[in-house]
Amino acid sequence: MIRLEQVSRKFGERTILTGVSGEIRKGEIFTIIGPSGQGKTTLLRLINMLDTPTEGSIFFDGISLHGSGDQATSLRRRMGMVFQIPASFHETVFENIAIGLKYRRISKDEIKRRVLEKLKEIGLEGYENRKAGTLSGGEMQRVSLARVMVTEPDLLLLDEPTANLDPVSTARIEDLIRLYNRKSGTTVIMSSHDLFQGQRLADRIAVMMEGRFIQTGETIDVFSHPCSAKVARFIGISNILQGRVIGIEDGILSIDVSGTVIHALGTADKEMVSVAIRPEDITLYNEPDGKMSARNVLYGKITGIKPFGIICHVMTTCGEITLAVQVTWQSVKEMNLKEGQEIILSFKAPSVHVMPLDEHETCRSW
Amino acid sequence: MVTLLFIAALLLCSSAVSAEKVKDLTGDHSADRLLIGTTTSLDATGALDELSQKFKDENNITVEWVAVGTGQALGYGRSGDVDLVMVHDRAAEDKFIDEGYGLDRRVFASNYFMVVGPKDDPANIKGMTASEAFKAISDAAKTDNTVSFISRGDGSGTHSREKLLWKAAGLNYDSDVNTSAEPWYYSAGTGMTQVLNMANEKNAYTLADSATWNTVEEDMTELQPYVTDGTDLLNVYAVIRVNPDKFPDVGINVDAGKKWTNFMISDDTQQFFTDFTKDGKTLFIPAKGDAATLNVTEEEISAPVE
Amino acid sequence: MDDIVSIFVTAFSLITTGNSDVWEITSRTLQVTFSSVLISTVISLPLGTAITFRNFRGKKTLINIIQTLYALPTVIVGLVCYMLLSRTGPLGYLGFLFTPNGMIFGQTILIIPIMTGLTIAALQAIPPTITDTIRSLGATRMQFLISHIREARFTIMAAVVIGFSRAISEVGAAIMIGGNIRGHTRVLTTAISLQTSMGNFELSLALGIILLGIALVINLFLGALQQR
Repeated sequence: MIRLEQVSRKFGERTILTGVSGEIRKGEIFTIIGPSGQGKTTLLRLINMLDTPTEGSIFFDGISLHGSGDQATSLRRRMGMVFQIPASFHETVFENIAIGLKYRRISKDEIKRRVLEKLKEIGLEGYENRKAGTLSGGEMQRVSLARVMVTEPDLLLLDEPTANLDPVSTARIEDLIRLYNRKSGTTVIMSSHDLFQGQRLADRIAVMMEGRFIQTGETIDVFSHPCSAKVARFIGISNILQGRVIGIEDGILSIDVSGTVIHALGTADKEMVSVAIRPEDITLYNEPDGKMSARNVLYGKITGIKPFGIICHVMTTCGEITLAVQVTWQSVKEMNLKEGQEIILSFKAPSVHVMPLDEHETCRSW
Repeated sequence: MVTLLFIAALLLCSSAVSAEKVKDLTGDHSADRLLIGTTTSLDATGALDELSQKFKDENNITVEWVAVGTGQALGYGRSGDVDLVMVHDRAAEDKFIDEGYGLDRRVFASNYFMVVGPKDDPANIKGMTASEAFKAISDAAKTDNTVSFISRGDGSGTHSREKLLWKAAGLNYDSDVNTSAEPWYYSAGTGMTQVLNMANEKNAYTLADSATWNTVEEDMTELQPYVTDGTDLLNVYAVIRVNPDKFPDVGINVDAGKKWTNFMISDDTQQFFTDFTKDGKTLFIPAKGDAATLNVTEEEISAPVE
Repeated sequence: MDDIVSIFVTAFSLITTGNSDVWEITSRTLQVTFSSVLISTVISLPLGTAITFRNFRGKKTLINIIQTLYALPTVIVGLVCYMLLSRTGPLGYLGFLFTPNGMIFGQTILIIPIMTGLTIAALQAIPPTITDTIRSLGATRMQFLISHIREARFTIMAAVVIGFSRAISEVGAAIMIGGNIRGHTRVLTTAISLQTSMGNFELSLALGIILLGIALVINLFLGALQQR
């Protein structure tokens, strides 16, 4: 549907995108995740022809998006974009949704039919004569979505559509997007800095950092196999360490991390590696226990407890390394965990994810 | 929709003007319209209102006028923007005619300038001639700061006459009178009524034409006239056609201009000036039969323009 | 000077009794002002739109110049228009001097800068997300411009009203170009100026009250539109 070939965009001296390549498939929800300010919005604007690449090309069904005038307008009319800040025209809700249809010179009756139907879909039935300015942020963003959806685009571009919204509004918008994609088969490209939103909605994910896709793949792949420490950190793995491979035996790597040896399942073609261990994959024990069958058993000390809703992260140091461990408040109580206490950490070799140090060379770009 | 409504409202309001516009745009309004640049006193007294109505009834020509000072009226004549001027400044008129802009000067009325001042007369000008009075005012002002003089200062006929009187009083207008070294002299740069109002408010002397004075006298509670006659106060009104040869392309209304000139010196109009009074006071003395007093030829008073 | 109260009483009676001179002057004032506002709108709106959405060298300078001309003195406009429209001037062939058309011409020149400038300001105040949305929805160039003007319509209308206020209240250009000819080019402001100089404060005040009344009605009209 969309093919990106080495797309770059510079604003004066500032480089926003540095050679983005990739392909978005027809019918999928493709989510670009990454921290704010890394070029997600710029890329979407390029696809929507609101901006032109400094270098590289973008193809839409094989047609280069470099045209101008009528050709550009007719290509653009096959897409629709929703912006982070919903655009609220000084008009009624009806007019706000109808505007794109009017540009396309659709008949009045047809506009009315489509707009009213869409209002029902977004749960704002009966709002057609309200002034758009009186809507809440979440309602307005739904109107923005409806405005684009009524034009029945082949490609829907969503730039952080829920970034400024409360969780309830966010959920509504996500439902709308998912439903629309399933019902109409429209391809969706969406950007988000919210990892879990990516997880909830996306068929495939691209992680965008420093102006390029550093990892692209099926959502589950990216989450379980981050290709670099940066990606790992972004997808929420707090324990990321650097070490040196000192041995390999039966597919088990021994890695020296600041003097502590950690065993991991996997391969490595370089000596220096990054390792990531999810806090939820580590178990805590007050004292040695026969049930500790895991490969890795470390002795450490609690340095603090950080709450995260119903769970918490117990911060520990084991020798030179610092590891966060996820436990429930229930366990904290039962095990009587507190700061300064000696503790035993245990995790299995497959839970240790080994990544190369130099991300740019080895990250799978497609 | 709202925008459309607004524009429609604008259109509606302005459509009323379009008929007039079309008439003006077609250009040929010169035949039935005579445009005069006139001195303010003829307008302010209401004389032109009545005369123009009579003229329209007789000739079916609309007379319109721009009431300004004599200087500006002659300026309009010099750029061909009016068909005719009605002014009262002999020296300026002669220059205008000598330069070839004016034709067929005819004198139709006169009255007098008068020196008016505060009721207590701090400069003691009562009983003096005009030039003596001006000298006395200037002398008194040097020692008595309650004495002041307000001038039109606008290049009008009255202003011109005032300058002549300062000269007759032995003073140099630019160095002895109209200079910042003489704080008693105010150059107002405005019309006659306004200047009289100022003099009334500030208890100052000024030079006024009798027509305007008689028209506004009742409001001038603090002022009274002191010097009211003498040949140096004679105020002669003349009508001068603008020379069409100077402006071949602009369509000076020659025919209407001649008709108006003859209308002004006609017996009927001369009689009108005799009868035209305000509170029983004559505002303009008809020129007919008065050539000697006015120091003009009989031809300038009575010979119709061909 | 007469008692101020009695001046007001006389002024109101002149208005309420429908003095024919007063109403003749008022209706001409409205005709001249509405015409000049209409012509200025027809010129300023496209001009302001073109300047806003076109990129060219010296755009900032041009906008600065336009903003400076907000303060264009009316007497300068009067003087320049007099010289242009004088029968011997370059536009003398129009025959506009001392006619309502000449006054419309002068007022139009007077208010074009402020109406153009405020149109530019109104369009520039539209948030970028609106502009992006309009483009993104596939507007053609024409649709793009119309949508922007529509979005800024209330501010643009305010610009029209400000132009109207400036035109109806100015006296310099009207007197120099129109000549304050009774029954032909006399409008409220020139009449006030004349009547004041002749000491007729009652009539001046009556005309002044009408002038303010017109401004009030126009502003109420705009306010009502913006409420909708």
